[in-house]
Amino acid sequence: MTFTTVTSKVVLAQVAPGREVLARRGAMLAVTGRVTFSPVAGGPGGGAYGGGLAASLARGLQGEAVALMVAEGTGTVHYGFRGHHVTVIELDGSRPLSVEADRLLAHDASLSSSVVFLGQQGGLRGAVRGAVTGQGLFTTQLSGRGSVAVLSHGGTFALPVGAGRQVVVDPQAYVAHEGDLRVEVTAAVSWRDAVGRGSGEAVQLRVSGEGTVHVQASEEKL
Amino acid sequence: MGVEPLDPATLPEHDNLPGNAYAYCVRLTGPLFVQTGRMIAHYPAGGGAIRFEPLTATSLGSMVAERFSSPLYSRDWVVANGQGHVILGDRGYDINSYDLDDGNLTVRAANLLAFDAGLELKESIVPGFLTLLGTGKFLASSSGPVIFVEPPVRVDPEALVGWADCPAPAQHFDAGWMGHFLGAARGALFGTRSGEERQYDFTGAGTVLLQSSERVLEDPHVLQRLEGEVRQLGTGQLQRLGSVVQQEIAQRQQG
Repeated sequence: MTFTTVTSKVVLAQVAPGREVLARRGAMLAVTGRVTFSPVAGGPGGGAYGGGLAASLARGLQGEAVALMVAEGTGTVHYGFRGHHVTVIELDGSRPLSVEADRLLAHDASLSSSVVFLGQQGGLRGAVRGAVTGQGLFTTQLSGRGSVAVLSHGGTFALPVGAGRQVVVDPQAYVAHEGDLRVEVTAAVSWRDAVGRGSGEAVQLRVSGEGTVHVQASEEKL
Repeated sequence: MGVEPLDPATLPEHDNLPGNAYAYCVRLTGPLFVQTGRMIAHYPAGGGAIRFEPLTATSLGSMVAERFSSPLYSRDWVVANGQGHVILGDRGYDINSYDLDDGNLTVRAANLLAFDAGLELKESIVPGFLTLLGTGKFLASSSGPVIFVEPPVRVDPEALVGWADCPAPAQHFDAGWMGHFLGAARGALFGTRSGEERQYDFTGAGTVLLQSSERVLEDPHVLQRLEGEVRQLGTGQLQRLGSVVQQEIAQRQQG
């Protein structure tokens, strides 16, 4: 438990040698003790804490790389970002977390992060999904044992996905998913949409596999 | 199930509306200073009326001059006077009431909603903050519930709501950043900023109030203050300032 929830919008992190915390730039609210902040060397995703050159290249391609900084030393740090809600997700090492870089507030530096090209998951459909959700073609994958703090608009809830239990999510409300899940875009376009009397829910994400999907209680983007 | 309409007869005297952290109800017992734009409803009582008078045109001129000692903010505040209830809100932020007993508390100007005439308002040394002194109640807002922290602590300027009883903060610059800054020959700071290099450092005994960060890029008071200070500059300094402003505009357009 690196992060403790202080309010719905703020988490508290304990930093110690060997327990460094990575967070997005500008997310530090307050700090006690001897803690120093430095940008992650070689740009986001690179250097000692990132996934190396390939990851930084991928993030460069992503076009909207989110700058990270690392908190080192001994002390506590409050994190929060622009009044968004924060959800802490614990990873036990058995399954990775996929989350858009924009939504990542902070995570243990011990977690390894990589950038996944969505086109690899289901080819063109993956790419279409990225375009539909406005997430771009790359997403950040975190694996290992540790905590992750994720930003959302209005808080999140978790939906379990399992065999015979698919979940369909609104693309704007999708936040993150844990485990090896297939996320497909389905277009339920009917004649109603053509005449402008659709439900407004024409494009949906269909999630299947074994894991958990985190959904925010709002259709507003960050 | 449904939302009960508010009944003026059972409105709280001085409390949040029932089950609503975002709206606060005050029954007037004397003049109340209110920041403009924060009043969302009012219920006059006993067939009377509640008057909201600008500080420049109030019938309580001498009281206002004594209590409100900030020319910079005087146009943003009014005095509410009369009988009845006033309901206040601010951007959907949580609203809390604070009691001061011969104390002092400094709060971000944008987050201060109202204060009663028992308190005295002064401008803090820290730009954008106001200090309240004396005995009385005031209302302040925060993005999410307020977090109370004890010094020693360093905080992000954007996350600071205010502080009580401790000395005004010093500005702290991250040691790593300072090293780069002093080492960089021509201010070539590209890629060395963590976004956290500037912090407010609190020491001593007291309490610091925090919220989740917000971005107040266009604070009208910052502009007013800068305009006021420009007059102290010489011609050469003004030209230098002009080029700094041009650089900043160019940077914003790139980013």
